[in-house]
Formats: sequence, structure tokens, C-alpha cells
Amino acid sequence: MEYVSPEGLRLDGRRPMEMRQLRAELGAVSRADGSAVFEMGNTKVIAAVYGPREVQNRSQQINDKALIRCEYTMANFSTGDRMRKPKGDRRSTEISLVIRQTMEACIMTHLMPRSQIDIFVQVLQADGGTRSACINAATLALADAGIPMCDLVTSCSAGYLNSTPLLDLNYVEDSARGPDVTVGILPKLDKVTLLQMDAKLPMDIFENVMQLATEGCKAVANYIREVLLENTKQLENRRGV
Amino acid sequence: MEQRLANSLIMTVNEKKFIENALVSDIRVDGRRPFDYRNLTIRFGSEDGSSEVQLGKTQVLAFVTGQLVQPYRDRPNEGTFAIYTEFSPMADPSFEPGRPGDSAIELGRIVDRGLRESRAVDTESLCVIAGKLVWSIRIDLHIIDNGGNLVDAANIAALAALSTFRRPECTIGGEDGQELTVHPPDVREPLPLIMHHFPVAVTFGFIGKENIVVIDPTHYEEEVMGGSLTATLNTNGDVCAIQKAGGDGVLQSVIMQCLRIASVKAGDITSKIKSAVESYNTQRALRKIKRHNPSSAVSNAAKHNEESTQVNTETKSIQQSSDTNTSASTHDVTNIGSPEQQSKTLKDAVKPKHKKRKKSTSNANAS
Amino acid sequence: MEAKPSNLVDQLVVPGDVILDLSNMANQTLKLSGGLRQDGDSICVMKAGKLRFMKPNKYWVESSQKRYVPSAGDNVLGVVVDTKPENFLVDIKGPALAFLPVLSFEGGTRRNIPKFEVGTLLYVSVVSANPGMNPELSCMDVNGKAAEYGVLKEEGYMFESSTGLARSLLSSPPHPVLEGLGKKLSFEIAVGINGRFWVNALQSSTVILVGNAIQKSESLSLVQQKIYLEKLLKSIQL
Repeated sequence: MEYVSPEGLRLDGRRPMEMRQLRAELGAVSRADGSAVFEMGNTKVIAAVYGPREVQNRSQQINDKALIRCEYTMANFSTGDRMRKPKGDRRSTEISLVIRQTMEACIMTHLMPRSQIDIFVQVLQADGGTRSACINAATLALADAGIPMCDLVTSCSAGYLNSTPLLDLNYVEDSARGPDVTVGILPKLDKVTLLQMDAKLPMDIFENVMQLATEGCKAVANYIREVLLENTKQLENRRGV
Repeated sequence: MEQRLANSLIMTVNEKKFIENALVSDIRVDGRRPFDYRNLTIRFGSEDGSSEVQLGKTQVLAFVTGQLVQPYRDRPNEGTFAIYTEFSPMADPSFEPGRPGDSAIELGRIVDRGLRESRAVDTESLCVIAGKLVWSIRIDLHIIDNGGNLVDAANIAALAALSTFRRPECTIGGEDGQELTVHPPDVREPLPLIMHHFPVAVTFGFIGKENIVVIDPTHYEEEVMGGSLTATLNTNGDVCAIQKAGGDGVLQSVIMQCLRIASVKAGDITSKIKSAVESYNTQRALRKIKRHNPSSAVSNAAKHNEESTQVNTETKSIQQSSDTNTSASTHDVTNIGSPEQQSKTLKDAVKPKHKKRKKSTSNANAS
Repeated sequence: MEAKPSNLVDQLVVPGDVILDLSNMANQTLKLSGGLRQDGDSICVMKAGKLRFMKPNKYWVESSQKRYVPSAGDNVLGVVVDTKPENFLVDIKGPALAFLPVLSFEGGTRRNIPKFEVGTLLYVSVVSANPGMNPELSCMDVNGKAAEYGVLKEEGYMFESSTGLARSLLSSPPHPVLEGLGKKLSFEIAVGINGRFWVNALQSSTVILVGNAIQKSESLSLVQQKIYLEKLLKSIQL
């Protein structure tokens, strides 16, 4: 099947190095301390953050750091066929673990000892790149909740089909069983914190694909920064500053 | 809280500082250099498809079993395989019995990703009747002792077990071509799995603020490290899977350097696995030869015990022919199939005293 | 009257062996130490090991485990795992965490309680160890002086061993590997009878060499240890 036409257009009309349209909204869940909705093309994800608050399970309390918990679920209606088991299966547990460890790298946990921060992420529409959308949404939600972070974490995925590196795969391209590289970076420090890859790739092509995904992450970081600045300006206006 | 304190590894401040300081001068606590692997031993169990790997103090067992099931709807002509991990509580005081925890699932997913997406195991050859029956391979990984770096050890164990697993041969027959006979191992030689390549996992740990890289961390180093990277590569220079799940951030150049080192190590480990599998296969073939001669002699010797007195006469000329018979049968034994049937019928036709002679000569051949 | 020593002295015994039958020994007091118990009229072995006897009447079983059974008067290496208002909770590889009162330091008053963070390594002595209770520790000797007790500097590395190896490191004549290395290299070492020892030297490589050499020599006999030591010193050219 042809994923890149001879003119260089993909199945949805994008160029190989073009990302899908991004859209973000803060404060979607009113009861949560911080929340965000993040859309990458047709993939839509909602994240809610509760904390820092008292640790619910005293035996898990850490004396010098905050305890971070994360739960990733996919809504039943998020994929084409109705899903039987939205959470508790291995893939969800692994992605929860990955998101938690990625956010732990950027949250300044030692400023909030003996407390707990919960991150809940739910996928409302899945069209490829759900992992990246979840991390971007979690970053926004943490910033909305005012939790101290050393840097934003942004994430983007890239693949390699028909001998072309492609940025930001959608579901059809993802299910082509070609390589899928997900990268999460700390943009200001320019360091890679999350890197996952499956399927086979020769090493030099992998370097190109990873570089492309990193560029995509930086683009997402610019967008997120704009959204946060916009939001802060609105808060200032409301305070009458 | 005292319970949790008792179960988790208690690291002193001295140990943490020392590990970081020693790494500045390129030396690790157990005397290794930063890019040295620990001693790797691969052993096999008595059954096909079981392996035991020891990497330093870490011990992992792997078992591969197969079953005939219905295929998935979207992949009707491919077999399936699944990986199950069990973190036995005897391996580490902090492992709890019961459902697998986060790290158990992560380990299973890393090994699974390395094998599945990179097409290391040929799933199309596992199809028996398209759309109805395929082989489902199940890999069980048991962690026996946690000395650090479970991922690499588990991956090697899984690869070794997959290389020695044999599945029964089945033929489709019957009137409508849908009837399936599964041949037991002593009738038809079971078949090995087809492995296209060996994806080997190599784990790196990043320790300290300068993110010094060490390969194959021990469990003390795992407590101290800020992040880890597991790269699964094969000897063809392909990257099969990478897992860096959060943790401290590292530069891209460091990641590429790690991948280059990993490809060298993957070559070493692959050659070790292959040589271990070779020696196991030769042993298995030798066992097979021994197995067939005594079994055929014993089954016939029982019938003819009462005629043993007549055996001693006219021995020499017939001994010559029986010698050639036994040598022919030993050669036949190595390719199992219909020749075995023929020699059996020949033996039946031969007189009783040949059985007794043959038993002693076949024992002499086998020993 | 002196007791006739059991004929199993200096031999290996396993749990269940009867070493003495008291029915034909009257009017004697015996001191039984670790690993032995009295079952009616017979003295039975509880732990596997070597039976030892010291005149006039002391019997005990010498064995080596990974975990430690606290007993009063021992000097051990402990790791702080928690702080409470009255005590520090210290792990000494025993059945229960040990308490170190915040005031049992030389010149300790309510005003100068030391601040130990989790993971601090201490050299302490066991004051009391009753079964079923948490053992009590102290950083002072009997005269109330600090002596050698207290925090071990934040350098060096702590190695785990068995209780038997710790005892042989502390015994006299000294352990051959320890003595041999001590003649050629300069390092300091603190041994806790609970199966932990700490090594410090100027260079990390010395620490690693000494620690690993001692750990590896545990299963070697005296002669083998001397050979191992020679090979080791030759390989590092000393």
C-alpha cells in the first residue's frame, strides 16, 4: 500500500515533515486542580491533575519526595470497534508507567515531600500518537495546576514508510506495522527523556527518524508555550493587573 | 511503614556517593569497567524449549510451549505468541506474590516488542489451517534471583528457549482435507521454530548528574541510577526496539553512542547463544541415537528368552550379518521416518538369536 | 567438678543432634550459648555448625548466616532508616529494626540531637537484645565516651558478608587476606559482627579491590587464601 504518493503527499494530504493540527484547552475539568484537553489532528486526549495533596495510602508515603501516580485509560468509544477492556490490560499499565516516569523527571518532587500528585489521562479519540498526546496534555495540566516543573515535556512520534521518514503518524500509518518512534524531550535543556521504538530499522535511518521526531517535539513545545502564555494573560486580566 | 522499610533495599549514603565517585575514575563496585558485561551462562533443561540463564547473580528461567488455537480475525493465517512474566517473591524481598506489578509488565512488554514487531519469530509458518487452526506459542519467564538487569537476562532466556523449542508436526488429511493429525514426537521428529534473527536487549544505566553511562547495571546500581535505556538490536545492524521510559534526560549524541556500543555487545551475546544452542542440539541428536537402539531391541528380546539356549550355536557367520544390520539401523535412525519402519520389519523376519546378539552389539555401538 | 566435654566438640553438628545426656551428670552447671537448647534431660542442637567448648563449662555452636541474631555487647554496623522523636530506627540485619535513643551520644542533650538522614551508616554497640523486642543500641561505650562509635564518614563503601566471615575478620590470628592486603595497601576498615564491613581508602580502586578480595576469600581454606592473596598482589604489581 502506498503511504507516500509520488508527489510527496501522504494519505491525509500532509507532507512527510508536516505535523497535524494542534489544539489545546486548559481548565476543562472544573473539579480538578489542573486539567487540559489536547488534540493532535483527530486524536483527542483529556488530562486531569490532582495535587499536591495528602497521601491516601500512608504506607506508600515517601519522606523526601512527592509520590506521583498516573493512570492511562482509553475510552470504550475511542477506537473504531468498541473496546472490551479499557484499563488494566498490559498496554495501558505500561503506558501509565511510561507517562509517570517521564513526568517524574521534570516535576520537582523534592519541593513537596510526603504528598501525592495524581495524573489521570483519558483518550477520547484515538487516531495514532495517543502516547504523545497524553504526555503533552499531562504537561499542560500540571502547568495549569501550578505544580513546579524544571521544564516542559513535549512528545511527538515519527515513522518510516516507503523509504521516507514521516512525522506524526496517524492510525492508518501506524497500523502499517512499520517502525514507530516516540520521543519525549525537555525542550529548553534539549535532552531526551522518553524514547520508545518498535519494528526494525537500520541504525543510521533510526538517527534521522529520531531527529525528525525531536524537531516535531520542539514545534509542539512552541505551541504549548503560546497556549500557556495566553492563559496566563487571561488570568492577569481577570485579576485586573 | 516498617513493613515497606523492611522489604525495600536500604542503600547507605556512602554507597550512593561511592558508586558515583568510582565511576568518575571508570571503575565499578564489582571491579568491572563501565562497558563490561557480567558472566553469562546459558543452560538448557531436559525438555525442548526450556532454558536457564545466569547473568552475574541474576537468574531467569524461560519455558516455551505451544498449543493449537483459533487465529485472530484480522490475521487469519499467522500464528500468535504471547509472553508471560512472573516475578517470583523468592527473587527479591520487595517482590509481592500475586498479580504482576508494573515492572513485571514492563519487562514483558520490552521482550515482546523486541520479538513481535521485528518479526524475529516467523508466525506464518505456524499456520496449520488458515482461518481455523494455528499454533499459539506461549513464553513463560520466571525470575528466580534479582541481581539487576532482569530485562537482558530474560530476553536471552527467551531467545535460547525459542531456539530449542520443537513443535509437533501435523498433517492435514482425511476426505475433505480438514482432518488434522498431530504426530507425537516419537513418530515424527518435531520441528523447530523459524527464527529470522536474534533481537538482543542491551540495557544501559545513567548514573549521577553527568549521566555517566554503565552497561548491565547490578541491582545496587539500579537503585542509584537516574534513568535507563534498553536497546534491542540484532547482528544485521537493525534497531529492533528501544525503551527509555522517562528518567533523567540525556543528549541525543549519548543515545547514538549507546546504540553503537549496544550493537557490538549484541554480536557477542548472539554468538554465545548460538554456540550454546549448537551444543544442545548435538547432545539432543546423540540422545536420540541411543534412544532408538535399546528400545527396539528390548521390545523384541522379551519374546525370545526361551530360545536363548539355541542362540550360542552358529554364531559367527550370523554375527557378521547382524553386525551389518545394526550398523545399517544406526544410520537409519538419524533420519527418522519410514526407513525405521523397514528395519523393524527386517528385524522381525530375522531369527531369534539375532535379537540377542544384536542387543549386545547395539549396546557396544551405543556405549 | 569439671564437666567431661561432649565427644562431639569441634565436630560439625546438625539440628536435632544430642550432644550431652544430662541424666548421668549431676550437680554441674553448664553455660549454653547460641544454637543449643535443653530438652528435658538432653542438650540438643538447634543450628547447623561446629560445636565448640571452652573450659570450664561453656558450649556453643558456631555457624554462619546472612542474617544476624542480636545479642548484647556486640559491635555492629547499622543503617538509619527513619527518625522518630525519641529514637532513630536503625537496620542491623536482625529480625526487627533496632532503636538508637537520640540521647545516647557522648555529651548528648536535648539541644544537640544529631541530624541523621535516611541512609546514614553508623558503627554502634548493642546494649540490649531481648527476643521479641526491638534491640537497643548506643553510640557510647560503658564509660559514656564516644570511643569509635558514631557516623562512618561519607566515603568508602559498605560490603555485605555473612556473620561467619565477619567473625573471622575480627578474630586473632588475623584473617590472612586482610593481613596480607594490609601490609601492602593502606586502607581503613570497620567490621560489624552482623555481617557488614566498611572499607575506605584514598582511591576507589583500592576500596573495590579490598572489599571484593575479602568477599571472595570467604569460601577458601587458609592455604587457598594465601595462594589467592599472592596471585592478587602479583596481578596488581605490589
